[in-house]
Amino acid sequence: MDIIKILENTIAAFFGIDAAYFALAAIGLNIQFGYTGLLNFGQSAFMACGAYGLGMTSQYFGVGMWWGILIGLALVIILGLLVGIPTLRLRADYLAIVTIATAEIVRLVVRSVRFKEYFGGSDGINSFSTSFRDLSPFDPAGQYGIRPFKYSGYSLWTMIVGWSLVIIFSALVYMLMKSPWGRVVKAIREDEDAVRSLGKNVYSYKMQSLIIGGVVGMFSGMIFALDRGSVQPDNYSRDVTFYVLTALVLGGVAKVRGSVVGPMMFWGLYVFSDNFLRELTKDEPFSIFGVGIIQKAQVGPVNYMLIGLGLMLLMTFRPQGVFGSKEEMALDGR
Amino acid sequence: MTSTDNSKSRFFAVGRAFAVLLAALFMFSAPDVASAADADNSIIISVQNQANNNGVSEKKPVAGVKVSVANLAGMAIGEGVTDSSGSTTISVPAKDNYVVTLDVASLPSGVTLVEGTKTVVNIVKDAFTTNQKRVTFFAGSSGESGASLFDRIAQRLVDGVRLGLIIAICSVGLSLIFGTTGLTNFAHGEMVTFGGLIAFWFNVLLGIPLLIAAPVVIALGGVLGLAMNGFIFAKLRKRGIGLISQLVVSVGLSIMLRNMFLYQFGGRTRPLDDFSLQVAKSFGPVSITMRDLSTAIISLIVLVSVAVYLQKSRTGKAIRAVSDNPSLASSTGIDTQKIIRVVWFAGGALAAMGGVFRGLDEQVGFEMGAGLIFLMFAGITLGGLGSAYGALVGGFLVGLLVELASLVVPAELKNAPALLILIIVLVVRPQGILGRKQRVG
Repeated sequence: MDIIKILENTIAAFFGIDAAYFALAAIGLNIQFGYTGLLNFGQSAFMACGAYGLGMTSQYFGVGMWWGILIGLALVIILGLLVGIPTLRLRADYLAIVTIATAEIVRLVVRSVRFKEYFGGSDGINSFSTSFRDLSPFDPAGQYGIRPFKYSGYSLWTMIVGWSLVIIFSALVYMLMKSPWGRVVKAIREDEDAVRSLGKNVYSYKMQSLIIGGVVGMFSGMIFALDRGSVQPDNYSRDVTFYVLTALVLGGVAKVRGSVVGPMMFWGLYVFSDNFLRELTKDEPFSIFGVGIIQKAQVGPVNYMLIGLGLMLLMTFRPQGVFGSKEEMALDGR
Repeated sequence: MTSTDNSKSRFFAVGRAFAVLLAALFMFSAPDVASAADADNSIIISVQNQANNNGVSEKKPVAGVKVSVANLAGMAIGEGVTDSSGSTTISVPAKDNYVVTLDVASLPSGVTLVEGTKTVVNIVKDAFTTNQKRVTFFAGSSGESGASLFDRIAQRLVDGVRLGLIIAICSVGLSLIFGTTGLTNFAHGEMVTFGGLIAFWFNVLLGIPLLIAAPVVIALGGVLGLAMNGFIFAKLRKRGIGLISQLVVSVGLSIMLRNMFLYQFGGRTRPLDDFSLQVAKSFGPVSITMRDLSTAIISLIVLVSVAVYLQKSRTGKAIRAVSDNPSLASSTGIDTQKIIRVVWFAGGALAAMGGVFRGLDEQVGFEMGAGLIFLMFAGITLGGLGSAYGALVGGFLVGLLVELASLVVPAELKNAPALLILIIVLVVRPQGILGRKQRVG
């Protein structure tokens, strides 16, 4: 077992691009779930809006990549209105049901043969990121940094852009939540009726929160798409939202640093567990008392099982995560 | 309780949870099943014939088609011939860029690739979201769309009734659990999958006839429901954990169980042994296999019995009372916790039954319930969240509408209309068909 390699990968994962795009998605989800109390289970659909916004520039519209941000914004607003209008007046779990359904449908639509012309079907879209590549000041073939932080020029570029966006949005959210707007949405989370009785339009605030969170999620999808240089429908499955949610709860809901550090810890733990189990099962299945427990091919499911278990345990025993405060997790739907 | 006590009990609780997981892994680890998990990195290539059966596109596997995988340099990595499920798995050394080629000459006569489908598919490295990448070639045979619109509608109606009955059976429990405890249980789909997979285990791996195995499966489904309540949700209620947090816990549970099934069963879908090879009989314009006809009739009987039970029996009345108003019910002397246990047992058993039927109808796989869950949600929302009869009516209608919609919607987007139903219901009549008009916001 190569412990040094496992640890190196783990440390690298804390600051890797995956943590960055998860952090962006978590910042968005935090606005909705943490501050406003909206159960958005379709963050992956908002991420897909960003990725497909970029992808569609080359696939369908034939315009420059930067138009993708506008297209993405338009998609996010359409999606936000679609799920928000029917549900935001109702009890919290309706939004959960509708968003999870929407996320699934969005994935089916973008991977369908029928709409291949727009979204590239199950092959996804590959060629859209040249303008972003060209902006990179680094040599794409070169290797930068020292182990374990060793990246190719392009990875370094996407990482810098990704983490810069994380910092920018963290700061924005921090300021937003200190503003009167932030106080209103937090009050909505605590007691909607009280806010309504103060003459605030709760519905409109919730909608704004949903869409603002969706826009941050959109940038998450864009960073992910740019890093991979491709848009693949299956990267936006509904479970992605739940992994982001787990990461957010781990860090601490309704805290800006929770939404950034949570994803870093999530990826650190995930990569550790993944690498550890892969090393463990590299030569022969891991077994206890001669009974094979985990085979090589089963490492993936075991990891995700652990994520599910982690989410359950966190919600039960430490809903405030690492940084949160228990008072701000007083969620109750009924 | 002092804080040390608290943290100690918490520590034990966490430890217990891990112990349960480990034990579960241990228990389920029968090697023959475990070997079902697929090879490390592989490309699954399937060739599907989108036959135009009665004007409705249906996927049918095409067997005996030669496919090959090469790397970008043109070096051959592997070859395969599709089996009776229309697919073949070619293992590849790593997640990398590959080229998949289909040998057009090996297509059976009368089958051609759908217009616009290439015979060569490039796979990029990042397309491997898991260790497997699925590549599907769509073929289409021409002709046979001569059926009249009336016939097509009739056939869709029959299929819709069948799907609707299954959804209704699966979602009764979901709705009753919501009614009695307020929990929106996202892990309910996994209870359906559980039924299907345990039926597969009994029927295919142990060779027990399905007719004998099915009652056991259904009982085990009930036990799973009881266990979910007893080990998780009853504890959460006792700790005074909010409903939204419970909902998130159920999401975690759903992820955990689904991956447990994947771990155990592997990623493929497989048919049950019994009753899997039946020829559809024609009744006028519609055709249905005797198997599907029987499951539909059994489903109908079960649903009617459930409704009668809820209406007439003492326990049924108590369930409805708890659904209506838990505190009032409990102050009239109803043991609400007992009623909740009954509901979880019944919900689990019905879900497992739905899983067996669904497994007969389609095939069993680790995601079979997860694919149904939002049809179930659409159904109970349409019928009225928390109302037991609502789940029956709503689930049935959603199944019917989804199948009917597939007359106009492509098969791959078949479930999309359910979302539309969901949204329209929430805008127009959020309390659903049978729900009482009350504040739901």
